[in-house]
Amino acid sequence: MMSNSEIIKEKLIHKGAEASLYYGHWFNKEVFFKYRIPKKYRLEELDKKIRTMRTIIESRALITVKNFGLNVPQVYEIDTKNSIIVMKYIKGEKLKDILNSLNDNKKQEYFKKIGRDIALLHKNGHIHGDITTSNIIITQNEDIFLIDFGLHEYSDTIEDKSVDLHLFKRVLISSHGKDYEFCFKAFLEGYKSEYDKEDLNVYNMIIKNITAIETRGRYVKSEERL
Amino acid sequence: MCQIRELVLGIESTAHTFSVGIIDFEGKVHSLVNDIYIPEKGGLHPILVRENHLNNFMNTIIKALTEARISIKDINLIAFSQSPGLGPVLKIGALVTRMLSQILKIPIVGVNHCIAHIEIGRLMCNIKDPLTLYVSGGNTIVSAFESSRYQIFGETLDLAIGNMIDSFARDAGLSHPGGPKIEELAQKSNKYLPLPYVVKGMDLSFSGIYTAAKRFIESEDFNKKYNLNDVANSLQETAFAMLTEVTERALAHTEKTEVLLTGGVAANKKLQQMIEYISKEHNARFEVVPLKYAGDNGAMIGWTGILRYNSIGGHDISETIINPKERMDQITVPWRI
Ligand SMILES: Nc1ncnc2c1ncn2[C@@H]1O[C@H](COP(=O)(O)OP(=O)(O)OP(=O)(O)O)[C@@H](O)[C@H]1O
Ligand SMILES: Nc1ncnc2c1ncn2[C@@H]1O[C@H](COP(=O)(O)OP(=O)(O)O)[C@@H](O)[C@H]1O
Ligand SMILES: [Mg+2]
Repeated sequence: MMSNSEIIKEKLIHKGAEASLYYGHWFNKEVFFKYRIPKKYRLEELDKKIRTMRTIIESRALITVKNFGLNVPQVYEIDTKNSIIVMKYIKGEKLKDILNSLNDNKKQEYFKKIGRDIALLHKNGHIHGDITTSNIIITQNEDIFLIDFGLHEYSDTIEDKSVDLHLFKRVLISSHGKDYEFCFKAFLEGYKSEYDKEDLNVYNMIIKNITAIETRGRYVKSEERL
Repeated sequence: MCQIRELVLGIESTAHTFSVGIIDFEGKVHSLVNDIYIPEKGGLHPILVRENHLNNFMNTIIKALTEARISIKDINLIAFSQSPGLGPVLKIGALVTRMLSQILKIPIVGVNHCIAHIEIGRLMCNIKDPLTLYVSGGNTIVSAFESSRYQIFGETLDLAIGNMIDSFARDAGLSHPGGPKIEELAQKSNKYLPLPYVVKGMDLSFSGIYTAAKRFIESEDFNKKYNLNDVANSLQETAFAMLTEVTERALAHTEKTEVLLTGGVAANKKLQQMIEYISKEHNARFEVVPLKYAGDNGAMIGWTGILRYNSIGGHDISETIINPKERMDQITVPWRI
């Protein structure tokens, strides 16, 4: 449990669909509070379980992926009872908000780096689960931070890795249509560059499976049932 | 003054429903006739569906004309479902429509089935620019209009929600379609049995729920510690909470001010309540497409045909080839630009 004396919630920064995020201080450090709010539309029992699980999953993921050199916010405190994570405050801009103002060189550079970061995750058996341009923060000195690990999974399957990439691809299409082709290409270049020669067939399988996911059309499964 | 109304005949033929709708250019529906093929067992077999539709399409067209009290010669435009769906079934709609278009010398329009679901919803609910949750036997899609297209923000990665519910219902010995029966049983229970809740980004996976729910009814504890009502309730609570979560996230992301619920599963009261709840939280207007127009129907094809025809005209016959796998986000929507 957190004792309130050391924590100062100062400002509501963002009210997402899932969580409310506050800026504040914790033992003189600039911090971010991520508070997963109860959802009344679902059964209390289910709701509680989801919020607790995601709080645990997210903090555990932030701690473990930091170990292999990825930029993610450091976790200071976890309060599973109230579904709160206290983490380092990352000063910067969401990729979503600055993408439009970047020149092609920067886009290329950033997306390649993001590709390498995601490959690093995947090769270590981690699935981010929600790669979007809102979940990537670029700092003043151009460090790239991945955030929002609530849907993180441990997995080494082709399917899970393809789904991870498919989600990012679709966010680019639906929210950054005109940049999609250029940026996704750079992203895949970066992603591929982390795979050694002998692993290239794995890379190819992952990419091929993205297309398969996208064309999983109507009634495919029910046809198979027969 | 008696003005001559322009009429379109819309043919829906993507899966088990062969439907003919006659609708005018003002959006008034003059008739709607459905012929629904119900499989004796298991899922949909494309060839069996095709045989059913081939045997009945003419009757369905004639019925629709009779109900509208018009002759085939009064039709000014013909539209058909060109994508996506079962190949052999799509072909029937395409064939019949191409033939009629040439015999009657009227323009032809091919329509994407999923876009048609949204367009008839916008018409019937008088809604401008919604975030749509489209849930049916074959589709589970969260979509909104952005940069000239109906973009897909979330979708199922495996089973469609309706298909999942129907498959489970079939395994539990209920007749097809199981959706309404599961809803009825669920109302009689307050018990919750944990089922896998799988959300990935804004995508969903229902195959885990299906397998786990099936395991519950095959277990020794079935009808001892819990009954079918409890499994039905848990299945709905879990699956619908997932749908509501991704819809809410898409709503927050797109900042749309209207929410539209459509597809056959939109009939479910529980789901309606949940989506209405999050709509209110985000100050968005919530509408459910009237049942008759939420499921597969020819009127939606006709209406979308009119929209396209009025903006950039019909299709050339060479462009009317079917496309069983086309995604709605691959198509630009000229009438909304
Ligand atoms: N009350 C209900 N609760 C849950 N599901 C329902 C209810 N009523 C109908 N359904 C489901 O709706 C589905 C039928 O949807 P629809 O009529 O749109 O046809 P479809 O061919 O499955 O749709 P599409 O071609 O658009 O994918 C079935 O799976 C049925 O079980
Ligand atoms: N550690 C952090 N430092 C600074 N800003 C953050 C941090 N974590 C999150 N944010 C900001 O808050 C927003 C929402 O946080 P996120 O963890 O992605 O929650 P949600 O699940 O609601 O998307 C992010 O898009 C980002 O702008
Ligand atoms: Mg986020």
